[in-house]
Amino acid sequence: MTPAFEKLQKHLKQLPGLGYRSSERIALHLLVEKPGQLPALVAALEEAARAVRRCARCGNLAEAEHCAICADERRDRSVVCVVEHVPDLVAIERSGAYRGSYHVLHGKLSPIHGVGPDDLNVAALRARIESGEVAELILALSNDVEGEATCHYLTEHLPAGRDVRITRIGFGLPSGGGVLYADSVTLKSALDGRRTYH
Amino acid sequence: MRLRKLTLRHFRNVGFAALEFSGRQQFLVGANGQGKTNLLEAAGFLTALRSFRTTENKLLVGHTQHTAAIACELEHERLGETRVTIKLRHDGKELWCDQARVTRLADHLGKFPTVVFSSQDLQLVRGSPAGRRRWLDLTLAAMDPGYFGALQKFSRALAGRNALLKAGRAVDGELGAFEQILAAAAAELIGLRASGLQALGAQLKASYAKLCDDAEPAGLGYEPNFDEPSAEALLARLEAGRERDRQMRTTLVGPHRDDFHFSVRHTAARDFASEGQQRSLVLALRLAQAAWFQEKSGVRPVMLADDVLGELDPARRRRFWAAIDPASQVLATGTALPDGELGAWQIFEVADGAFVEKPARVEAIP
Repeated sequence: MTPAFEKLQKHLKQLPGLGYRSSERIALHLLVEKPGQLPALVAALEEAARAVRRCARCGNLAEAEHCAICADERRDRSVVCVVEHVPDLVAIERSGAYRGSYHVLHGKLSPIHGVGPDDLNVAALRARIESGEVAELILALSNDVEGEATCHYLTEHLPAGRDVRITRIGFGLPSGGGVLYADSVTLKSALDGRRTYH
Repeated sequence: MRLRKLTLRHFRNVGFAALEFSGRQQFLVGANGQGKTNLLEAAGFLTALRSFRTTENKLLVGHTQHTAAIACELEHERLGETRVTIKLRHDGKELWCDQARVTRLADHLGKFPTVVFSSQDLQLVRGSPAGRRRWLDLTLAAMDPGYFGALQKFSRALAGRNALLKAGRAVDGELGAFEQILAAAAAELIGLRASGLQALGAQLKASYAKLCDDAEPAGLGYEPNFDEPSAEALLARLEAGRERDRQMRTTLVGPHRDDFHFSVRHTAARDFASEGQQRSLVLALRLAQAAWFQEKSGVRPVMLADDVLGELDPARRRRFWAAIDPASQVLATGTALPDGELGAWQIFEVADGAFVEKPARVEAIP
């Protein structure tokens, strides 16, 4: 292999999910098998790096000051769904069940990995609440200790005196799945979160 | 539960061994350092995917090998004939149960109960609180998924709070976020430990009475570091202790500092009991654990007796034998064959990691 090839491969290997073999395969594919695709890819990378940024309001990916969801007048801005990462937002969007707006924290509190509140997109959330536009916060963070700690932190450190309803999404059985196949932890939270049947 | 077939590959000093068990009593005989205990260790690994001798997987994989494997065929009260395979690597383990991969320890824990009797058990009476907590956690978690869940949550939240304290930049808001989870999980643990130790203590009292003729009552006493099983009370205590915790850079109050003690005739066994009493206490504890497993899950644990028969005098040995549930399978090791009075054994001779079954003794015709 040539030095330039190895340099490219080393950079590819640093990408998430790629090991030595897959980075080698991608480098070979780009340079030898389909070199014709390369200029388009380089241009796309450069354009995306120039154009894509964080939405000033919610932290989602945007190409203007605000992302497509924040710019959409039909979305209900008084309801804010707080998520950890952009793919979480995409997953909820894909469900089609939600017509409010979002707020992406870009992580969760994790002292073990050195992530504190200042590393998260909390200041912008605070500003949104202070502006008075938010009536309800839906916390859709992961169901683990760090996710729960982040929920506690947010509930206690958001501006006081505003009448904001805070809820956390439910945890339980997956749709179409029977009780039989659920693991014991999920069953426990499903039992804890049961609802009255009318 | 009965083990019917046990296969080891590259496990400690055992290159390959396939043992088929028939009947309920198996005895492994051989000189020291030949691999008798390694086989018991492998059988005990089934229960919680942990060794009773070490916490390092690395030590379990044979020299110059990358992976070790334990495969086991067993008869189970609830699951029928089951095949369990465990693959061990230096950095992790894989579990297969009837050809299906099991990825959550919570789904496996306690399904295949074994109880180990070992000479190291004496450390439970005399040793540090950490050893007792480890035993208590494994015993309670094996029978109660709720306990296991609370323990995991507690450990994770404690690690978070301690990381904040260690970094020296612990602000109240962040500490508070983890304290809420910590306190709720801790309160659950304290409550479950108290009731668990009470049930185990009652079983211990009964088995101790069977082992020792003199009717001195034995028991277990819980020594919680924070004795109110209330999340609110612990939360208040954690908040009040923040300043001191910051100085020490760790969390000073909570169930991670719990302990329990053994008592004989209402005095602490660690300080006052004789050597013989202490030995009987740990045997009684293991018998109590077995009885409790069976009561809770309906599955009879397999008894793994590592060189304990040799340590007891004949009278005690007989009583210990009588105290074991006569329907349980017993896998025992020793440097010499057991007395005839303990029943018929299937015997394996162990030398340098190899196991050879000795043909059954032909009874002499009178």
